[in-house]
Amino acid sequence: MSYVAAAYLLTTAVLAVYVWTLWARQRDLRRADSGRQAR
Amino acid sequence: MVWLVLSALALPIGIVLALVVAPVEAFQGEPYRILYIHVPSVVTAYVAFTVTFVASVLYLWRRGLGYDRLAATSAEVGEVFLTLVLLTGPIWGKAVWGAWWTWDARLTTALILWFIFAGYLMLRAWIGPHGAAASAVVAIVGFLDIPLIHWSAVLLRTLHPRPAVFRPDPAMPGSMLAILLFNMAAFVLTYLALLGVRLRQETRRAELQAREETA
Repeated sequence: MSYVAAAYLLTTAVLAVYVWTLWARQRDLRRADSGRQAR
Repeated sequence: MVWLVLSALALPIGIVLALVVAPVEAFQGEPYRILYIHVPSVVTAYVAFTVTFVASVLYLWRRGLGYDRLAATSAEVGEVFLTLVLLTGPIWGKAVWGAWWTWDARLTTALILWFIFAGYLMLRAWIGPHGAAASAVVAIVGFLDIPLIHWSAVLLRTLHPRPAVFRPDPAMPGSMLAILLFNMAAFVLTYLALLGVRLRQETRRAELQAREETA
């Protein structure tokens, strides 16, 4: 694999993982919110 | 949401411009294309840490929790972009210098900045908003490393090239410079989109926590 491809793929992967962590945190917030309302 | 859509459009366009449209550089050849993600990542990290610095100063001055949340979320997103700098830089270095890493002034000060803000985020994770003042001090001191990084390549003898864009006469042809500026805008847009999401999440989390404590 070329150095250029490696750099671009790695950048895309890091940003994708970070966006996934944001989605996971959003899901946890929704769960906490709905749990609080259920109580 | 608008920022997220705009950045989701701008990033792939920027990548296509960098990989397909940008001309090949005469000296480095293809590996120079890493510049189009490396430099925008640096600029975005600097913008993010500058926001953290200003918000930390405002927090210490006004004691508003909103400033503290802005400082923390901006530092987190900035750390992601600084990680990109420290991942793409060695790949570019290996292609052009033949070495993944060298302990020269610019690379070392950039690595120190990464560790300072990693420490800042760990500090926040451990002590939470109760340690907002202490983490604001860490952020302000950490920010002082940025001028050091910038001037290290100008004042000291380093393997890293001197700044080629941020000077009165950019040392780059217009066709390359336009694509680089587009990518910088796309990366900063992505930072703003991610910052907006994180800020809303932290505000909501604080609201939920406050309700739990009063219930």
